[in-house]
Amino acid sequence: MTPSTKSGVPVIALTNIEKSFGSNKAVKGISFSINPGEVVGLIGENGAGKSTLLKILTGMYQPDAGSIEVNGKVVKFKNPRDSISAGIGVVHQEQSLFTNLTVAENIAMNSGKGSSASTKFGIYRWSQIYQAAKVTLEAIGSKLDPKAVVNQLGFVDRQMVEIARAVSADAGADGSSLVILDEPTSVLEKHETEVLEKEIRKLKNFGAVIFVSHRLDEIMRNCERILVMRDGELVADRKTSEVTEKQLFKLMIGHDSRAEASSRKSIDSKETAAIEVNSLSRKGKFSNVSFSVHSGRLTAIVGATGSGREELARALFGAEKIDSGSVLLDGKQINNWRIPKAVKSGIGYVPSERKIEGIIGGFTASENLTLTHPGKSALGPFLIPRARKKIAQDWFNALDVRPNDISQELGRFSGGNQQKVVMAKWLNSPELRVLILDHPLRGLDPGAAETVNAEIKRACKEGAAVILLADTLEEALEMGDQVLVMRDGEVTSSYDLAKQNPSTLDLLERMV
Amino acid sequence: MTAEINVVPAGGNLKVKLAKAWQSVGPLVVFLTMFALVAILTPTFLGNGGVTIVASSAASVLLVALGQSLVLNIGSIDLSNASITILGAILLAMTLNSVGAIAPLFILIVVSIFGAINGLIIAFTQVPSFALTLGTFGIFQSAALVVSGATTVYVKENGDAIKALYQSGIGGIPMTFALGVIAALVAWWFLRFTRPGLAMTAIGKNESGAIFSGIKTRWLKVLAFTMSGFLSGLAGLTIIAQAGSASPMGLGSDLLLPGIAAAIVGGTSISGGVTNPLNVVFGALSVALVPIASAAVGVPSQAQSLVYGLVIIVTVALTLSRSSNSIVK
Repeated sequence: MTPSTKSGVPVIALTNIEKSFGSNKAVKGISFSINPGEVVGLIGENGAGKSTLLKILTGMYQPDAGSIEVNGKVVKFKNPRDSISAGIGVVHQEQSLFTNLTVAENIAMNSGKGSSASTKFGIYRWSQIYQAAKVTLEAIGSKLDPKAVVNQLGFVDRQMVEIARAVSADAGADGSSLVILDEPTSVLEKHETEVLEKEIRKLKNFGAVIFVSHRLDEIMRNCERILVMRDGELVADRKTSEVTEKQLFKLMIGHDSRAEASSRKSIDSKETAAIEVNSLSRKGKFSNVSFSVHSGRLTAIVGATGSGREELARALFGAEKIDSGSVLLDGKQINNWRIPKAVKSGIGYVPSERKIEGIIGGFTASENLTLTHPGKSALGPFLIPRARKKIAQDWFNALDVRPNDISQELGRFSGGNQQKVVMAKWLNSPELRVLILDHPLRGLDPGAAETVNAEIKRACKEGAAVILLADTLEEALEMGDQVLVMRDGEVTSSYDLAKQNPSTLDLLERMV
Repeated sequence: MTAEINVVPAGGNLKVKLAKAWQSVGPLVVFLTMFALVAILTPTFLGNGGVTIVASSAASVLLVALGQSLVLNIGSIDLSNASITILGAILLAMTLNSVGAIAPLFILIVVSIFGAINGLIIAFTQVPSFALTLGTFGIFQSAALVVSGATTVYVKENGDAIKALYQSGIGGIPMTFALGVIAALVAWWFLRFTRPGLAMTAIGKNESGAIFSGIKTRWLKVLAFTMSGFLSGLAGLTIIAQAGSASPMGLGSDLLLPGIAAAIVGGTSISGGVTNPLNVVFGALSVALVPIASAAVGVPSQAQSLVYGLVIIVTVALTLSRSSNSIVK
């Protein structure tokens, strides 16, 4: 018995939705419907069209063809506001709460038309705000105090606030609401994931849920039905009870799971490591960290918040002090480590705070690209603008940066395209020895993420040693030759993926 | 919910280009408009050597403003530059009398060191430039009073070559102003065509980004303040050339605010990362023109400061770069 027989009107129904970008068809004739009370999983590889589809559902993109019905009525979303007022809420992987405000204020901040009730002449009506928040929180089955300040809440509670905020628009005003959870668990620790999953199941009473995740086990646990996308098409719409994890994987990728181990390089132990770290410590951040990365290999470091991996990465680039221990580059010990020296020694660093640390937003893309390693665009201290343009243009073509305008200010590009330029900025050095990547895919669309990942692999192939702080455990396992797990500033395990095959659960257990 | 806008809005490019074009010619247009206005209202202004007066008055303002622009460009400010000018001029007048023709070179090295000291303290102790240079402003001013004995120091010997800078010129424009224009050209070339120059602008636009790009931000700050010191010294040289003497209270003792005004009227951003030394030339000319012209046009002397203030506000409002700095400091 599918839930659809219980109620005649689906919460959302898509018919032949299409969307193209230039000649690239991102979404090809997608049709499906979701009934009240259903939790539906949506899976697909990066670039399968999931994000585009979600952006259509949330009004950020307009479909080229097809129709969307919400609670039986045909709708056209011109912008995110339309989608919110139709009762569609999204919770993103990255939280976007105002942490210094109360739960109630955060919920009120998004309450579309309802905002007129929470303010009068622009002045807060506190009793209304608290009351509205309480109603919304109860509707999603949460017992949070609306007066609590967000920065005192744990991650899961904050995620619940996000959900409350997402659904607060017109809570059940006309028909049911749809909550889209876009990889809500990817940054969670294991026990937190369990709590959140319990909360998600409660959402069923409130409306329908689309659950997007890379973790097949999680999808299988939480969803009654699973939609699989591949190359912009909906390749499967199955009941969870009728498929196995293996079948899902095959549907998603288009072929069976490969034995990944064969592609891993084994280390030539005689060869000197490109970077060797010996009992490196920084008080209160990380302690006694030792590992080495050989040329052409990728070491992924995983760990929860507070594991010290970010600080370690920054220390390796000379951006944070080291209290004790040593770092050897190609066997040579380095002292008085500072960023300019690190850069000169062939270390590159892609920071997670792209807009603040990664780019000079007011500089053109070509200036950014050649700022650190000018290559042929500088002769000693003198700049050669024409050579700069050529270098930048070549990179723009190679990485398909859009718009293809090297003289536009980099701050005006989208995050994904900025990140491509940040990658090129380091790859433009022929002497790149070590590339440190701090969440390189954060906030990137699948297309840009693919390009960046391809460049990481290419840099690796060309001889750079890569240290990757991945967003997700899956990313770490997919990209890495070696995975280090950090907890409370210490390395708790190290896996050589050529010989070992840890699951994400194995990694999680050592993270918490 | 924040929706990231992934595409540059259509038409945005044209708007940006127009804004850029205006930024690059704005200061010139403003100066020419004011100049034309004065020439029409008071035709005798041109005949009576008005151009020479404006250019010679603009020379020292321009040199100080160029140094200020380089410092503003890295996101700092130099409040001590005008007092370095006066101290430099006094020291130059004294040394010309004693050591002779080598004196200008010697003084330019000394004032560069003054600037470098500002820069070193700012870069390595992270005292904000406003506070530090407010302090050294007082120190250099006292030093000027002490070494001069609070009186005017006259150049008695070896001063002819320097005075010739003011007395000679092309078409009524004294060489002192030409010196400023040459300095502006060099500064323009430095910022656009050298790595340290580009890196300085990077610091002003986004210091964290510059640090993480491997730029030696501290030494470049020292360099910017050193250049400011050097250019202040050149301004002192033009004062000696014009007056043949230097005093703590005389010509050039109130260059600080006109210098800042000329920099920002010339399109330099007070919050860093935006400057064009060539436009600072027109900024300095405008700043020098306003008091002279308002007197020539017949504005009562009590109202001249009012005109001066209004012109600066209106000019900055017209030429300000708004695209990159939405935060106003």
